[in-house]
Amino acid sequence: MAQISEIAGSGSGRELELYFGPQHLGMVGNFSITLKVEGDRVLKATANPGYLHRGFEKLMEYRTWIQNFPMVCRINVVEPDSMEMVYAMAVEKLAGIEVPERAQYIRSICLELARVSSHLFGLWAYSNMLGFDTPAQWAMYHRDLVLDLFEELTGGRVYHIYLWPGGVRRDFPKGFRDRIVHTLHSIGGWVPDYDATFFNNRLFYERARGVGQLSQEQAKALGATGPVLRATGMKFDIRKVEPYAAYDKVDWEVPTRQEGDAYSRIWVVRDELIESVHMVFKLLDAMPDGEVYNRIPNPFKWRIPPGEAYVRCESSRGELGLYLVSNGGDKPYRVHFRTPSYPHGLTILEKALEGASIADVGNTMISLYVVAPEIDR
Amino acid sequence: MDRNQITKWLKSPAKMAHKYSLHAVYFCTGCGIIEIPPVITTRWDAERFGVLPVATPRQGNLFMITGYVSLKTLKAIIRTYEQMPDPKYTVGFGSCPINGGMYWDSYNTIKHLDRYIPVDGWIAGCMPRPEAVFVGVTHLWTLIDKGKADGYLRYKRYYAAYRRNQEMLFGELQWPPLYPTEAEAEEARP
Amino acid sequence: MIASLRTGLEATFKGVEVTDREDGMMFVLAPGESIPAVLRYLREHGLDHLALVSCVDWIEEGELEVVYLLTCYMRNNTDYGPEQRRHVLLRTKLPRESAELDSVIGIFENAEPHEREIHELYGVHFEGHPRLIPLFLERGYEIPPFRKDFDTRQYVEKTFGAIPPVED
Repeated sequence: MAQISEIAGSGSGRELELYFGPQHLGMVGNFSITLKVEGDRVLKATANPGYLHRGFEKLMEYRTWIQNFPMVCRINVVEPDSMEMVYAMAVEKLAGIEVPERAQYIRSICLELARVSSHLFGLWAYSNMLGFDTPAQWAMYHRDLVLDLFEELTGGRVYHIYLWPGGVRRDFPKGFRDRIVHTLHSIGGWVPDYDATFFNNRLFYERARGVGQLSQEQAKALGATGPVLRATGMKFDIRKVEPYAAYDKVDWEVPTRQEGDAYSRIWVVRDELIESVHMVFKLLDAMPDGEVYNRIPNPFKWRIPPGEAYVRCESSRGELGLYLVSNGGDKPYRVHFRTPSYPHGLTILEKALEGASIADVGNTMISLYVVAPEIDR
Repeated sequence: MDRNQITKWLKSPAKMAHKYSLHAVYFCTGCGIIEIPPVITTRWDAERFGVLPVATPRQGNLFMITGYVSLKTLKAIIRTYEQMPDPKYTVGFGSCPINGGMYWDSYNTIKHLDRYIPVDGWIAGCMPRPEAVFVGVTHLWTLIDKGKADGYLRYKRYYAAYRRNQEMLFGELQWPPLYPTEAEAEEARP
Repeated sequence: MIASLRTGLEATFKGVEVTDREDGMMFVLAPGESIPAVLRYLREHGLDHLALVSCVDWIEEGELEVVYLLTCYMRNNTDYGPEQRRHVLLRTKLPRESAELDSVIGIFENAEPHEREIHELYGVHFEGHPRLIPLFLERGYEIPPFRKDFDTRQYVEKTFGAIPPVED
């Protein structure tokens, strides 16, 4: 629904108002940006969210603690597991539930697999938008292989509802470990091909360099986290800063770049993808035997003592936080998700688009890794 | 191609042609859109069924409403639907457009999509698997063959009722009616 | 550091209550008019990441509680110490009928959409905000929808239940 409506002519050229989205090929997700343009240059961009607002946080106040698990994963459809993780962490913190060690490892493996699938989805969106159809097709195929693993483990391709307060729903099936290794090896074997067709491609460099550039100071002032911040050189990663699950049990690196533009953001995503694959191998090797689940009280009568908690974890897009308040009842009193796309898609996007060309709008938005349902909730 | 197909092609070539080239409007209305990229890429390959995404509603004839529909999106959906050329087919994808799904008590999502625009078929599930999309598409072929996928005709026939329902939600709509309403048609009659 | 922050806050501002919790979270309760000054103070003392601005409706007390959640970015790239794990939760209580607060966009730029959202969903007015226009919603609501006295199930029945099917 891109429409052009002429508004007052001023200066040498004419200013036009251009609606970018929600029905637009350059747009990923149901989101809209109103651009004020002069020629090909964007003078001002106004993000216009709300197309996916369902009032999750209100609906969760009407459902019991356990009933909310099918709700939370639907907030971010690209990476539902980190949503479940952050809610499970908050509930565990308020209710004082311990998690067995094996479950911690399984959680980490699950979250890293979700990160791989999410980064492959991001890679699909980005390369597709730039016109690199071949790596886009590969990325989507490889994501599907990861989804097959999830389907075997949890029964669902997209929504898993697998992480649970007190652990995970069930242990790995027989031979599952070998299938994870096999799948990740076959994805990792394609990295040289991805590099040759996309990452080392001169076209990608020319197209992405300098687009949506942010300095580290700007990124900090605007509340950036995740790959957007790491592309400006800061090794800020919640998995290291405030380790949860089993991330402090294995040794891994936080990939960064220095330039802070779309090019370096996508490179950070690529490096993270490879790091995640390596991390899953390490976690699988270090995984102990034992229980995967601590029993929780009867979910129909489960009351959580009054209190409040803020927990955070690192989703593939940045810091995912949850502010949870309980008043001692069987339902949450207030839930508020701090989603990484919120500052990226509203504050940073508006800043980064000023002075950009129209052709770079989709480029900037996808490189900022914005998922619209996360913003609207 | 069997003989049956040939007679069909001779009898109604236009129907057969658009039946096998369903061009889906690329509009991410909800979370169901996450299963559309796998469907249109190598693994599931919707092109086998003649389904391709297109950039603009003016080139499309299949509108998949993927997932829950919030009020703001419904407005965009109505406008997109009205821009599509006839014949056009609408498929509700996922549980939420059917009856609200798990957002049955949300103040900002509509519950029954077919009260605002006509729908030719539903694919139930949350998420429906990619295979379900293909079952839906082949079923839509049958409906087109039998002339039962007539949503665009129903929209014209019951336009006043659809428009009234839309206006019950949004108040006065900012765009003029697509078809003359009954009162206007009455006036125009000599 | 945490102890010095606590004494500093209590010495600088009147009417500020500080409580610590053993998991590294610090709760600061401040009156509404001193929120920008306290935020600026906290920012100068290392809490430079405003993670979240939230609001809780305590309907029985007749109060809206606006919450600012602050954490810190890293000083240098080898710094993964306990200093990084500090969370400060700054809150203020406002009367439900006339909830008004000064905007803090001048201190933390990323508070802008948060304040817009709270204005829309809770009806808190932020003085000095450049565009308090709707962010998410399409329809107007008599009561802001996230307040506890807005019953979404009742609303759904009344609004969407009233729309008849077009054809049977």
